[in-house]
Amino acid sequence: MGVEMDKLVVLPCNGLDKEAGALARELSLHLTRQGAKLVCPVLYQRSPARYKKDLAWGELLVIDGCKTGCASKLARERGLKIARRLNVAEMLDKMGIKGQKDPVPETGHLSALLSLLPDMLLLRKEEEEEERFEEILFSESVEMKEFMVGKFLFKVPVAGYYFNENDCWARVEGNLARLGVSDYVQQSAADMVFFDPPEIGAEIDQFGEAGSLESTKTALDIISPFSGKVKAVNHRLVENPELVNLDPYLQGWAVELELADFSSERELLMDCNEYYSYLREKVEREFREKYG
Amino acid sequence: MTMRTKPKFVGVLSCSGEEEPEGTIARNAVRLVMEKYRPGITVSLCLPLYLAGDSGEREFAKLAPVIAVDGCEKACAKLSTEKYSGKVSGAIDIRALLREWGVDDHLSRSRPGELEWELTERVAQEIVKKIDSLIQEGELATKPEKEEAN
Repeated sequence: MGVEMDKLVVLPCNGLDKEAGALARELSLHLTRQGAKLVCPVLYQRSPARYKKDLAWGELLVIDGCKTGCASKLARERGLKIARRLNVAEMLDKMGIKGQKDPVPETGHLSALLSLLPDMLLLRKEEEEEERFEEILFSESVEMKEFMVGKFLFKVPVAGYYFNENDCWARVEGNLARLGVSDYVQQSAADMVFFDPPEIGAEIDQFGEAGSLESTKTALDIISPFSGKVKAVNHRLVENPELVNLDPYLQGWAVELELADFSSERELLMDCNEYYSYLREKVEREFREKYG
Repeated sequence: MTMRTKPKFVGVLSCSGEEEPEGTIARNAVRLVMEKYRPGITVSLCLPLYLAGDSGEREFAKLAPVIAVDGCEKACAKLSTEKYSGKVSGAIDIRALLREWGVDDHLSRSRPGELEWELTERVAQEIVKKIDSLIQEGELATKPEKEEAN
């Protein structure tokens, strides 16, 4: 198979609501029959010490069921080093199989996944290497400030981001900035289904369009907080637009710009504290208008 | 004055069932209740999603009665619900039930056979009893739908 199963420690999402969660569980059980060790996501959350030895023993494979990525979130929160990552919903998509709502896995779907598993394990390893390089520049940890309106929780980074009134953000590192849309946008727009990126090398004006997103509810332009030249686009977002929903401020970035005039343009933007107050007021107003 | 309307649904939160056969029974029993015995009023809560901090799942568990179905005495589902959303309205410990029923057979966690499915049905009925008693006590603004014929 090319992958040492006896050195894998598997952390599956084990979700119950959809077929993808049940398939994540079936895949992990299959791997344990071949020698991998298993980490129960729920028990691990409650008693992490129980798995300390197992996690030190081998490489961690995270298997998410649906695109919410609970197992990945759990691993990140606990600071675990993820060696490989699989997402059942993505694997089904790749094979042109439509996952079903019924949480009972179809035998055919499980067999198809098992046939793809060896290649996916090797492929994911290479992808992770590339991702690690990007993460060095735009480091992966961002502290958030939250507020709740009704049953909705909104997150805004504490520092390091600039926002415009279109709820788009820029995260600046040196003369580069990554752009994306805020948590408020992803919650209002619902599930993202399409990302149309700008061309590499294109010159974008401040408040000009830097690509567009389409969700199950609406289509929206990404309004660039800064001007500059497009240096890179997030190819993972093209394949997985739901990253905006999953992680709007980090993995959900859309475009990387080489900045043209940072110091004067930032005067027209809000910093994190200003955006937090602005957004809170806006959301509370919308809520009052809707629910009285 | 605060007005509180009665919830229309009962949440059922199963343990993740990764390590033990009782966990597999818990998952499948919850599904049976949701799809076959009390459809329409039973909502399953996804425990990994709930623990990952999903505000919708946690809010739901605060507003609606929740029955925790645990495979063993570790009671991950029950304790997690109580940590984030308050007291559960009912709890089931499958290992304790199996002891009560005198079952000490070796059970499979990944390939449920006839015995495992029989026990799953019995556990599902225990969940149904708890749901029905919530309805009897007037905790839900609804009545159970007609059961499907077996």
